[in-house]
Amino acid sequence: MSLDYVKFSNGFEKFMPKEYRDMVEHGPFGKKVTVSQMGNFKEVLEEHPMCAGCAMTLFIRLAMIAFPNPEDTITVGTAGCGRLAISQAAIPFVYGNYGDQNGVASGLSRGLRLRFGDKPKDVVVMAGDGGTADIGFQQVLHSWFRKERFTTIMLDNEVYGNTGGQESGMTNRGAVLKMAPLGKKFEKMDMLQMAKVAGCAYVATVVPNNPRRVESVIKKAVLIAREVGSTYIQAYTSCNIEYAIPTDKVMEDAKTVENDRYQFTEYVSDEAKQYLTERYGYKEFLPKPAAPAAAIPGKA
Amino acid sequence: MYLVADIIVEICAAKSCKLCTQYCPEANTILYSEEMGKDQGFKYGSAYVAVDRCKGCAQCVWVCDNMAKNNAIKMIMIDQLPKAALTDNITYGEKSTTAVLASPVVG
Repeated sequence: MSLDYVKFSNGFEKFMPKEYRDMVEHGPFGKKVTVSQMGNFKEVLEEHPMCAGCAMTLFIRLAMIAFPNPEDTITVGTAGCGRLAISQAAIPFVYGNYGDQNGVASGLSRGLRLRFGDKPKDVVVMAGDGGTADIGFQQVLHSWFRKERFTTIMLDNEVYGNTGGQESGMTNRGAVLKMAPLGKKFEKMDMLQMAKVAGCAYVATVVPNNPRRVESVIKKAVLIAREVGSTYIQAYTSCNIEYAIPTDKVMEDAKTVENDRYQFTEYVSDEAKQYLTERYGYKEFLPKPAAPAAAIPGKA
Repeated sequence: MYLVADIIVEICAAKSCKLCTQYCPEANTILYSEEMGKDQGFKYGSAYVAVDRCKGCAQCVWVCDNMAKNNAIKMIMIDQLPKAALTDNITYGEKSTTAVLASPVVG
């Protein structure tokens, strides 16, 4: 949980694989890296067994770059495709039982605060739509009601992609899948509204066809979760296998879905706005300059 | 044999939009080199593919054709690439990477 864990042990330097040496010497630890520098530094994510062209992988890759302090971050996940890639990164990963990721993260983030005090240690939950909205729903909602200070990211592929294509709470109404041949009969769950009702300080939707936006949203969510309260990001990460999207059309699909039902939305609580502005110098939440007095009718 | 992405240096080094590096789902697969391209007299460096990591999804081809409109990436059978970058031959610098190209198919 510090820069010390990304160093070589004395005498072992020459025995380490090239990927590890590159990561220690040219990785993002202790530096500020951005999406625009991608391709020029060694990323914390390594080779992983996820399907070719998976949009979820792209999102995870961008998320790993967006973490403000990767050396002080722990990711928590649960069963689902995402864990296949998240676990292949040089960031400690905790893998709970199915659905208990927000419970595990609650304890973890409280424990880290006891152990390290004010020193920021970020806990980020990344789980699929099944882990967040179906099986882990109760723990997710309770962690939000308790205002636990960590970030929850839903990798929403709108299907149980890992087990053959069953419908999930986040599947769209009418969607026909391999294991839902009659089509889903219920609406997609409105997790965004639930997050707001449960008191999340930051709620956003994002699609990975805009890497800079993914970066900015994740940075804000992680920073707000340090002090203010729970934060929630819902990311559309299509399953090109279960929805039969040709791999070279994955970004086209992301664009279509973004225009259809995944428009970028961002909710920031007043407390979070104030925190980001005062603590981290964000300018976007400052009050807009007032219009000239003469333009306002009825004012002298 | 299987398809991997191949970036045409002549087009990439003239535009250098770097979009493909941001849209590849695989980490450290499409990399950027300041020298590649500049050594051939082009204005910018060029992106290139570490073919041993490429899974052949062709997402970069769509991004290059439709978002950047440069048409600089093509899918090619790996044994038809004369020389390509491999992870073992890539060195990371302060702000860029350098690749020594080698035959992608051994034997």
